[in-house]
Amino acid sequence: MIDEEFERIFKRIREVEKRIREYMEDEIRKTMRSIREELAFAEGLFRPMWNHEGHLRPLYSINDRGSYYEILIDLPKADEKTIDVRFQGNLMFLRAKLKEEITFSGISGKGGETKFYEYREVIELPIVVDPNKVRIDIRKGIIRVLIYK
Amino acid sequence: MEIYREEWIGDFVLIEYKPIQLQRPSYAIISLPDTGLVSVISATHISKSLKLEEVAGIDSYTYFPPVAIISNKTLRSPIRIFTGNNLLVIYTEFMLPTSGLIQLAKILIDYLERKGVEYILLPSGLPVQNRFELEQLRTYYLATSPKALELVKNVEAVPFENGLLAGPYALLLKEFSRAKLNALLLLTESFLEFPDPEAAARSIDMISRIMGVAIDVKELIEQAELIRIRARDVMKNTLRGLAQMRKDMEYTVPLHT
Repeated sequence: MIDEEFERIFKRIREVEKRIREYMEDEIRKTMRSIREELAFAEGLFRPMWNHEGHLRPLYSINDRGSYYEILIDLPKADEKTIDVRFQGNLMFLRAKLKEEITFSGISGKGGETKFYEYREVIELPIVVDPNKVRIDIRKGIIRVLIYK
Repeated sequence: MEIYREEWIGDFVLIEYKPIQLQRPSYAIISLPDTGLVSVISATHISKSLKLEEVAGIDSYTYFPPVAIISNKTLRSPIRIFTGNNLLVIYTEFMLPTSGLIQLAKILIDYLERKGVEYILLPSGLPVQNRFELEQLRTYYLATSPKALELVKNVEAVPFENGLLAGPYALLLKEFSRAKLNALLLLTESFLEFPDPEAAARSIDMISRIMGVAIDVKELIEQAELIRIRARDVMKNTLRGLAQMRKDMEYTVPLHT
């Protein structure tokens, strides 16, 4: 009788322990995600969207669409024939030449003098990519990469 | 920079470079960075096409980072005000925090009333998940008064009947409605995270029809790719602010309609 009572109490303690552990893991995950986002933002703060060697960084977004991830990359003025996308682990390496060299005319300083000729970016993806499960579409200077889970 | 009049209102300073006199019927376009930069791209094109003159600015040392804008060797404010004939364009590329936006909304209400503005146009973008595939973009409207509703009588726009709005225009719309101003929100389907000159062209076409003023968007379409390149930094900064304003809530399906 007493054993059964103890067993019941221990079972209850184990359940509470499990819930506390899950709650703490969840909170740590949230905090880590938030810190990662803050770090990415802080890193991006001093990382302009161009460099004086003539490279542009594109805007991109990563969206979880359930059975696949959709990565959209804005590549205005890119020569579609030169778009080069490669995967290594959870990284996506992107390069694309511009159809013509461009300058930010009217802007003082290096930004107004530099001639840009290429997009370059390394994108960190939420999963390790199997290249056989990837589909790429290009439309009006935007590329859509679908990565199936 | 010659200052004609300067006025401190709360944490903001309003600087006029010359007196402003609007013809009737008078319109104001308020352009704040939001979805796809539709408003910013639209206002830039309208100001250039109609050769509007920069006549005033609004600054804040509390809500803006310490930035100086230099345009044609002249210092300008983060919020720039352009005018010509019967139109006033209030334009900024900088995101304000919500607390600053509330104060700015009240300042704009007072300012627009003092300038005798009859109609306020709020062009923006409405994020759609399948924008990548869309050819035909729809524009939705929301008016704060029956008089503002009259503006869309002869334009191809659909009423925004149910849903959630989040971001700077949601706040402006609420404040303008409370102040009983004639405001019209025009939401054109667009990318959320990329500058969308195509959506801006559609928005300009609406404004052009509403005001009865010809504004050619051919050049905007031709220059669309270049605009997308130049707008990347502004878009990047805007996204950060929109995330803080819970822009993702616009995808929420409300239970009670």
